[in-house]
Amino acid sequence: MKTLRLLYMAEVKLSVREMSSVIFGILLPVGLMGLMGMFADTQLELIRAFAAIATIGLVSTGIMSLPLSLSSYREKKVLKRYKVTPISPTHLLAAHVLHCFSLSTLSMVLVFLVAWLGFGLEIVGSLWLFLGGYVFVMIAIHSIGMLVASVSPREKTTGAISSALFFPMFLLSGATIPLTILPEFMQTLAQIFPLTHGITILTDIATINEFNTVSFLILFVLTGICLMISVKTFKWE
Amino acid sequence: MGEVIRVSGLTKRFGQKIAVQDLHLSVRAGSIFGLLGSNGAGKSTTIDCMLGTERADAGEIRILGTDPRANRRSLFQHVGVQFQESAFQSGLKVREICEITHSLYENPIDWQKTVAEFELSDKLKTTISDLSGGERQKLCILLAMMGRPKVIFLDELTTGLDPVARRDIWQTLLRLKQTGVTLFLTSHYMDEVEKLCDEILVIKGGKELIRGTAADVVHRTDSENMDEAFVKLVEEGIR
Repeated sequence: MKTLRLLYMAEVKLSVREMSSVIFGILLPVGLMGLMGMFADTQLELIRAFAAIATIGLVSTGIMSLPLSLSSYREKKVLKRYKVTPISPTHLLAAHVLHCFSLSTLSMVLVFLVAWLGFGLEIVGSLWLFLGGYVFVMIAIHSIGMLVASVSPREKTTGAISSALFFPMFLLSGATIPLTILPEFMQTLAQIFPLTHGITILTDIATINEFNTVSFLILFVLTGICLMISVKTFKWE
Repeated sequence: MGEVIRVSGLTKRFGQKIAVQDLHLSVRAGSIFGLLGSNGAGKSTTIDCMLGTERADAGEIRILGTDPRANRRSLFQHVGVQFQESAFQSGLKVREICEITHSLYENPIDWQKTVAEFELSDKLKTTISDLSGGERQKLCILLAMMGRPKVIFLDELTTGLDPVARRDIWQTLLRLKQTGVTLFLTSHYMDEVEKLCDEILVIKGGKELIRGTAADVVHRTDSENMDEAFVKLVEEGIR
């Protein structure tokens, strides 16, 4: 337990020192919420903006931080080193995932505070259901990151795959640019991004207090497939 | 004195390529054993198989009487390892890696005391990647010592260090030996091998070329020193 705590603290410190996950995962969504809050004319627009921007944190940690760190730890033989100690490299993996989850959740809470205190956000659905939905989407998106970390042979390849997944999702699934202002074919295209379904789930909870079963099932199956392939193909070195 | 490491008939293939072939070795408690060979001779693969991070295709490995693949957790309470690459999360500070490594063991050393002995006390807040080569390798030894191991594996510990730093490392290793720790090392520096190792094994293409004390090997290859002996052995295949 002590080792896990120390490894977790180390992951937090490393990410603060490295800055990119703090910039993409915290500062960017908080700033964007401030901006979109000013543009939102109605409560509905504000809720939609909040539900979408709240996912930026989990996408940055799930698609960027998780696979990049794991690939780097594998390439630098950090994982292998823990195989020749009394603990297993699973501890380091767990510490990093915990770090990703806590950074994502912190990002969502901060975005919520900006929308609530700054612009008087009042979500229609239950806060607990929203939180549950958030955790589900967070796990789903991180499972994609695990898949990338498992199938990518090198850190550089991981960087390329992660960017290729991150930026389209980031820009076109409604997290930064509201889907409603995009042309119709783009809105249809956006359905291929898992994050679009994540945002749909959160938006439905926040606006009409309903759980979107179709999007839920799509993400649920995707998560299952990603985790299954990860477990089968993940290599410690 | 008892036997700490025993390898018999170790064979490892990667596809068609044979990396290690029918290797036998035995290391006495409290001695320093050197595994030598050119780059690609199979030294690191041998160590990987001995530590259980690679699965051997054939042969039996016993470290402190146990199979490293079967009793990993309990065995590595008593075995310290330093790999060729320093293998830490880049960006960690000296204090942080010490605290993490310290937490892994049931009966660890007082690391702050050892840090002082190693003259690294003023580097505790330094990022590992900002240490000099010599400092980083001293840190690696310290981390490998953390659990009060009975055996330490050191893979090319002094590669890339200046002569002063290398001699500093030698002193550290000889002091460790005095405390009864068994050392298994690989090296490309023959002066180091002559100075440190009680017994050496030279391999080429994963196969044994010669074994014995350094003086013995020099004598049997009709050479002036280990450097000459090594070149003769590896280039000309004299044995």
